[in-house]
Amino acid sequence: MKGKTTITITIGLVCFILTAVMFMQFKTISQTDITALENMQESDLRAEISSLKEENDEMEIQIDSTTVTIAEYRQKIATNQTASGLLDQELAKANKLVGKSQVSGQGVVVTLTDTEDRTVTASDLIMILNELKMAGAEAISINDQRIVHKSYVAAINNGYISINGNRQVSPYVIKVIGDPLYLESGLSAKQYGYIDAKKAEGLQITLQRSENIVIGSYIGNDIEFKYVK
Amino acid sequence: MILFSIVLGCLIGAIVGINAPLISYTYSSYLAIAIVAALDSVFGGIVSTQKGKFNLIVFISGFFGNAILAMLLAYLGEKLNVDIYLAAIVVFVGRMFTNLSLIRRYYIEKLEGYTKR
Repeated sequence: MKGKTTITITIGLVCFILTAVMFMQFKTISQTDITALENMQESDLRAEISSLKEENDEMEIQIDSTTVTIAEYRQKIATNQTASGLLDQELAKANKLVGKSQVSGQGVVVTLTDTEDRTVTASDLIMILNELKMAGAEAISINDQRIVHKSYVAAINNGYISINGNRQVSPYVIKVIGDPLYLESGLSAKQYGYIDAKKAEGLQITLQRSENIVIGSYIGNDIEFKYVK
Repeated sequence: MILFSIVLGCLIGAIVGINAPLISYTYSSYLAIAIVAALDSVFGGIVSTQKGKFNLIVFISGFFGNAILAMLLAYLGEKLNVDIYLAAIVVFVGRMFTNLSLIRRYYIEKLEGYTKR
């Protein structure tokens, strides 16, 4: 009887140990990530290293080719930039020419003012514009209305003066960029010069040289061609 | 009585094993070989019981001794760079199959004895 109890207890204990260890093993195997680096066998690690090396080599080749492509693109960008830089310069020049950008430089400022004897007429302004252009004016504005190729000075109903479609009143400040010497001498020739002639007619007119005249751009979007093809 | 103790031991063992901490994967191969050795001892014990030659001391010493020896051999194999644990598995599993066939034969003979009677 005593022997049987011992056997029973021992067998139970043995079963307990066996199943406990087995379940521990099951759990370990099911929960362990065999692909994790710490759990790999040496041979697996070696295979992994060699495959990684291969991958590395391939990547390096890819890097080389990509670097070449990048260099090509850089070159292309550089040439594009020079091209667009030239275009920008061209555009800026064209804008200056047609009066679509603000310009500055040396020149003269002529001011025409109404007097009791005589008011400034459109033809006075047209005449001075002509005189200024003859004297080599490169950019002109009257009361900040930029004179461009299609600008006009008109007397509306013989009442007021319209420049570029905007009503203007005395005093008329004419800013001119050009050689100041030519401009001044062109306007102020003795007796037949514009200034003398208009002063004789009774207008108040002043002329002032300036080293830095700023002339704003043409205001409005109507410098586009509609009929010129 | 013995059957009851076996079932109880297995149940408690399962519960304890599930709640036990994880063993490092490196050592789990040793544990596996120990389990195989222990299972071999269990089948051997069943066979000897059927033959009426069951000896508790032999069984217990076989159970633990084989497990520990298998682990030690696996460790030695690791050090020698020889997969000794494979040999251990072959031996143990081979013996397990032999024992299982003996058990099967025993029950078949018993069944035949019943049908003859």
